[in-house]
Order: sequence, then structure tokens, then C-alpha cells
Amino acid sequence: MMKLRRAGEYFILLLTAVFLGVFLLLPIFTVIGVGCDWGLICEVFRNPIYVQGLVNSFKIAVVTTFIVFVMSLVLALIYDRFEFPGKQWCGLLMLVPMILPPFVGALGFQQILGHYGILNTLLVKLGCSRIDFLGTEYKFWSVCAIEALHLYPIFYLNLVTALGNMDPALDEAAANLGASKWKRFVTIKLPLLRSGILAGGSIVLVWSFTELGTPLMFGYTRTTAVQILNGLTELESNPVPYALVLIMLVFSACLYAVSKLVLGRNSAASGKGTMGSRGVELAGVKRFLPPAVFMLVTFCAALPHIALIFSAFSKRYYGTVLPEGFTLEYFEEALSNSLVLPSIVNSLRYSLLAMVLAVICGVAVSLASVRWKLRFSGAADLLAMLPLAVPGVVVAFGFLSMSVRYDWAAKCFNPVENPLWLLAIAYAVRRIPYVVRSVSSGLEQTPEELENAARNFGAGPLRILTKITLPLIAANMLVGGLFAFSFSMLEVSDSLILAQKAQFYPITRALYDLAQILGAGSSIACAFGVWAMLFLAATLAAAGVLLGKKIGAIFKF
Amino acid sequence: MAKVVISNISKSYDGKTRVLKDFNLEIASGEMFFLLGPSGCGKSTLLRILAGLVEQDSGSISFDDVDITDLLPEKRRAAMVFQNYALWPHLDVFENVAFGLRNANVKGAELKEKVMEALELVRLADLAKRKVPSLSGGQQQRIALARALAVEPSLLLLDEPLSNLDARLRDAMRNEISRICAKRNQTALYVTHDRQEALSMADRLAVLKDGSIRQMGTPEELYDFPADRFCAEFLGDVNIIPGREENGVFVSPLGNFKYTCKYPEGKLCGLIRPERIRFAADGDEGAFKARLTGRTFLGESCDWKAEANGVEFCIRESAPRSRKLNEEVSLKFDEGYFQLVPERD
Repeated sequence: MMKLRRAGEYFILLLTAVFLGVFLLLPIFTVIGVGCDWGLICEVFRNPIYVQGLVNSFKIAVVTTFIVFVMSLVLALIYDRFEFPGKQWCGLLMLVPMILPPFVGALGFQQILGHYGILNTLLVKLGCSRIDFLGTEYKFWSVCAIEALHLYPIFYLNLVTALGNMDPALDEAAANLGASKWKRFVTIKLPLLRSGILAGGSIVLVWSFTELGTPLMFGYTRTTAVQILNGLTELESNPVPYALVLIMLVFSACLYAVSKLVLGRNSAASGKGTMGSRGVELAGVKRFLPPAVFMLVTFCAALPHIALIFSAFSKRYYGTVLPEGFTLEYFEEALSNSLVLPSIVNSLRYSLLAMVLAVICGVAVSLASVRWKLRFSGAADLLAMLPLAVPGVVVAFGFLSMSVRYDWAAKCFNPVENPLWLLAIAYAVRRIPYVVRSVSSGLEQTPEELENAARNFGAGPLRILTKITLPLIAANMLVGGLFAFSFSMLEVSDSLILAQKAQFYPITRALYDLAQILGAGSSIACAFGVWAMLFLAATLAAAGVLLGKKIGAIFKF
Repeated sequence: MAKVVISNISKSYDGKTRVLKDFNLEIASGEMFFLLGPSGCGKSTLLRILAGLVEQDSGSISFDDVDITDLLPEKRRAAMVFQNYALWPHLDVFENVAFGLRNANVKGAELKEKVMEALELVRLADLAKRKVPSLSGGQQQRIALARALAVEPSLLLLDEPLSNLDARLRDAMRNEISRICAKRNQTALYVTHDRQEALSMADRLAVLKDGSIRQMGTPEELYDFPADRFCAEFLGDVNIIPGREENGVFVSPLGNFKYTCKYPEGKLCGLIRPERIRFAADGDEGAFKARLTGRTFLGESCDWKAEANGVEFCIRESAPRSRKLNEEVSLKFDEGYFQLVPERD
């Protein structure tokens, strides 16, 4: 009887592994299969344009990660060290940049940095000459800045979690033995923060290395991700994108491996049962400094989005610091545009389906590894976390290649026919890590004894799952699901690569097309962006309320 | 209530170290049996095997001569009170207690009646609608007990249920559990490492070490006549007196003593509990001289350290009298409480 039950658990794990194998590993291996052609790889490295693309992507990744690291470290240390008014709100403020992907934020950034944008208008008013921020010279830095302003919450949340887990007695012991603040920071805190730095740093590094949307919106086309997208149109005659994807994958793996090698893993910092010292209470005016720093950073991060909102509401916003006139015209136009409403409906369908798939798969993996402790569950857990290290472009491109190479895939997932399942699965696969981490952390925090007690009082496996386990981890499932849903709603790589017919466009693809329309296109795209922003704000606020401080655990791997 | 027979149970988690070694035990119907032992001795493992939460490598279990070895945990009717109570925080008190009954298809008025009866038994009927996290540790402990009793189990398993309570509450709960189990004539297996809990509540108990029983019997038998040094030391303070046995008498630096019982051959030592050494008058039969070297006042009693002919030992004097350190006193062993055990375990 017990063996039959065990077999059932293995069967569920097998189904999950098959799902991940077919929809995560197979696309990757399909790309590798074609891209692993020495001639193609040599061609990439012989062509200075592709080499330049790789170098630029790498430079973006390194610069972005560095900026993000410095920003997050300062903010996390302030948050951990001091008690100040509105501290909880400041913690929530840190999530604001995640309301919009940099892809959409770039629209607002153009409004700020454009030739007739806010900053240049200010410069002219101050008697200076205009600077072409979006020109070749500054484009690189603009891309890095906007990516950094989008990604720092991930790094910050990891650092805050690591600092929160750190036993305050370790720092106090060093102080007690005469170490100065700086010495304690360098020799005690920073080394103990390595796990947080690794977790946050790896994600940011790989994310910015493979980012497609931001460089695309800025017209910074000489990056590998954009080159892959541009190569799709002539894929039949020129298979170089396969090699590019392969190289990007190898690069990402190397970046991850190097960061792990340099920083290593370290979880010895956590401590329980120690009298945790509270943060330092600041007195007088000083106590308003930390919230001021948090607000300033959030303001900078939100600036593109603020500009986006102004553009969406203003009649004219061109060559002036503040918008001129108020109008809802673009919102109306956005809603009446033939691309917009269907794209919202499409995105909702794709994202809801993706959320359901990601939650089912994520819960199965978490149960197998945390509860059932099956023999291969560790491998399944690792497999489910793989999408964090695999660029979205690679997976999306892999799906496209599958539909070209395999008949069964062409029948089931032809992007030209109806990409509902294709996009839903592509979205889901890349969001499973968030569900796995969220649900696993819920299961780890829920004593197994509660389920044992239910078993002891006569409940079968299904009743235990429905009456005890799932209700107890409901908040974690909901948060994982919300993340899966909201990130799917504004996903870029899969949407740009896999949605090929206007009638199937999701929001991001429609946004991209709208932004390319001359005239009012950009303002309509801004109005549409505001709708999108409201979507994510609502879901993230719900997640924040449900999970509170533990929200950082979602971005750990 | 069931008679429980555990036969030749063995268990190893890693395939090398055996947590339980051919474990045998019989618990009479309505008996409250205690398993006492240090951490890692296998007592909780045995409890979980009985509940079906851990699978044994070999051996069998029967309740009232019915083999339940291969039954799933949910079919065993061996309700457990978990160390951390394991109350479901998302359900209220009533639903926690009703959970097992619902699984047994008890419904409607009968369900309500049984739940309230169990809650009344632990004197918490008025908390039925409260959420678990709002209850105190003692209340949670009693709800856990009510939940287990509500299903009228064949065997009640208690896994160190009082270890998370403070001393005062623990005392109160000991009486409460004893009262309820006696009232229900409930067969119970209680696991603990707290000797006072075991000695004060058990009908019978067994001392476990390294997966097997070292000694089994009534609390009085085990306390007064421990089988070896481990059992003696685990159940309370004890003086180890060096010496040798000669012609039925134990020859030691303190003098020659008659002993009550003697365990296997080999090198032996004498055992006597501190409260079994009394201050005597000079010239009393069997008395010996010693010098008081230390004092620990405990309120209702006083522990004296004493030394005689190079042997140090402890005397526990109830209703302590005024004495001076370094005073020479006459002491005497209570008759019938000095025994010999192997010098090494």
C-alpha cells in the first residue's frame, strides 16, 4: 500500500519532469543541435558586427550589475541598520520599479532624454547646448541606466533577506572585540552576504546580458539579443541566429559559473534564538534621511514611468519641461486601436493559462523535493530553476525552432496558426522558478508534522493535500501565481518572437508595434503602457500584502 | 482499549546504524506505559512506527491480537499527541478536534457531541470557535490531547507533549493527562526524557538506550533497583561506591555492607541514592564516619557533599538541620536500598 502511494508520487514527478523536458530542455537542445555547427560559430566570431553585439551585451551586463550592486547594497544596509519613520513603506517602495518592465519604461525614458525631451529643454533654458543622450555616444549608458533602475529591487531584496538572516551577534561580537564599523563591514558583513550577492548578482547579470526589450526600444541594435530577433526574418536562408543563441547560452552559463566561483555559496550567517538587536533609532532631522534616500531612488526609478504617464495624459509634450494640456484622447485611441483590445484579451488568456500551468508544475516540483523527498526530486528542482539562468530569447527561439524542425510541434504549436498554447507554455516555463521558490519556502515553513498529524487522524493523501497542505501554503501559491501572471502579462522575448500574427499579439508585442507608428503612436503606446502599469501594480501590491518581508525569497535560487 | 504487542521491531535510517534493535514490548489494555531515554535512543522512532509514520525494517505490531503492521497510518487508530502539538492553524479549535472524526465519517449531531465531549474532558469547551494561534501553549497542548481522544483511539501516543511548557504548567498537565487517561481507561504509550514525568505518571516504564530496553518495570522498581549505572543515573542522582564483593558482603573504603541485589558477574560497584543515606547516632549498627565537605540548600531538602577514606558521595537530607562544614558525622545506609551493579555499562 505504502509502495503504491510512493509510486503515485514518482508518477507525478515523472509527469512534471516530462513537461519540463519537452518544453524547456528540448527547445534548448534543438537550438544547440543546429547552432552547434563549427562553421556557423566561426562565422559569428569572424563577423565584427556579431562580435560587437556580444561585447556590447557583455558590457551592458557588467555595467548594469555593478550599478545595481552599489545601489542595492547602500539601500539594503540603510534598511537593515536604521529604524526610521515609514520604514515599511520604504520597503514597499522598492517594488515600484518592477511595476513596468524596462521595455515599457524605455518609452518614458525617451521622453526624458530625447533631443527635445525634458532634460534637453532644461539644459537649453539654462543656456547650455543640447546633448544627444539617445545618440550613439550615450545610448549604451541609457540602456544600462534603465536596466539598472528596473533590476535593482531583485538585488536589493536578496541582500535584505541575507541581512535579515544574519545573526546580529556576529557583528556585535566583532564590535565587542574592537573592530571598527568599516572593518566589521569588510570582514564580517560583506563575506556573510555572499549568498545574497550571488543570488541577486547572477540573476541581474544574466538578465541584463540577455535583455531584448530595452536595447530594442532605444534602437541600440548591436546587442546579441536584438541581432537574434532581427535574424528571425531570414532564418531559412541564414541560420546564424542559432549559433548566436548557442553562444548566448554558453556565455550566460559561464557568467553564472564565474559568479558562483568567485562568490561561492554561504549560508552560515543565519542564526536563531539570538537576541536580535533592533536597528539604530535616528533622532531629529537625521531620521528623515533614510526615507529621503529611498524616495529619491524610487523617484529616479519611477521617472520614466512618470514621464510615461505625463505623455499619455498630455496634449503636447514636446520641447517643454512639463506637459501642455490634458487629454484622455490617447487612452481612448489606445482602446479603439485595432491592436490594443485584442492584445489585452490575448495577454489575459495566455497569462492565465501560463499561471495555471506554472502553479501546477511548481507545486508538484516543490512537493516532490520538499515533502516527498523523492530520489530524483533534487534534479527536478534544479531543472525547474533552470529558466532563471536561461535567457528568454533562447527559450523563445527554441520553441520557434521546434515548430520548424518537428512535425508534431508544428501541428501543436504553430505560431502562425494560434500561439495560445505555445505562448502560455513558453510563459509558464520561464515563470515556474518563482512558483517553485515561493511554494517551497511555504512548505519549508510549514511543519511536516501538520500533515503527519492529518495522516495520523485518518486522512488519505488527497484529503491531506486539499484540507491541510494547500490551504496552509495558499498564500505562497497565490504569490507565486501572481508573479507568474504579472510577469507573463508583460513578457517581451517570447511575445516578440512567437506572436507573429497581429490578431494573436499580446500586450508587449502590440506596444512595440504602436511605438513604431509615427505621429501619435508613441503617445498611444504610452497610454497603453499606463494600463499595463496598473495591472502589475495591483498584482504586486497583493503579493506584497500576502507575503510581507518574505517576498525576497521569490528571487532566490 | 487495546492490548499492544510489539515484536522484534528493527529500524535503521541509513542502513548502518540501527536505531531500534529487535525491540519487543507488551502494553496491557488501559495501561499508561512510558518510554524513557536520552535523545537519539530510538523512542520517538518507535512511536512513529506505531503510528505508521515511519516504516520499520522488520518486526510486527498487533493491537488486541490483530496484526496492524502493514496498515496505512490513517487506518491504525493510534492517535498521537505531537511534541509541537501539530494543530492546524487554518482551522479553529472545533474543526481541529473534528478532523479525525470527519475522516471516520462521523457527522451531524454525533460529531458535535463527540467534539464537545472531548473538549469538556480537557476543560476547554468554551474555546471551540477560537483560532489555534490565539491559544496559549497549555491550551494548545490540551486541544492536541482532545483531538487525539476524540477519535477514541486503540492506542494513545504521546511524544514528549509537555516539553514546550513551563514547569508550573507541566505539573498541572501531568495530573490532567493522568486523570483523563485513567477515566477513559486509555492504553497509552508516552515518550519522554523527563524522569519526573515518567516516575510520577507511569503505570510501568522502560528505560531505552541505543535502540533497546535496558530495564522495564514499575517506577518504584526502576528507581530503587536500577539494573545498571545508566538506568540509575538516568532516573536520579546516585552515589557510586567502589569496592569488591567477598563472601556475600561488599567490602568498600566506607566499610562492609550487605547488599539487596546483585547483577551479573564481573567487576562490581555499589549504588545508593543520596536520600537513602541517613545521619546516624555514633555507634549505630552499620554506621560509618565521614566529613561534610560541601552544602547545597534546596529549600525542602539539603544536599551535603561528604568524604570518607577518599570516597566522595552525596547525602540528601529532607527537613535539613543546621550542620557545619568539615564536621565529622556518622552516616548509615537505609537497609534494603544498597545494591551492586557492573562497574561499567
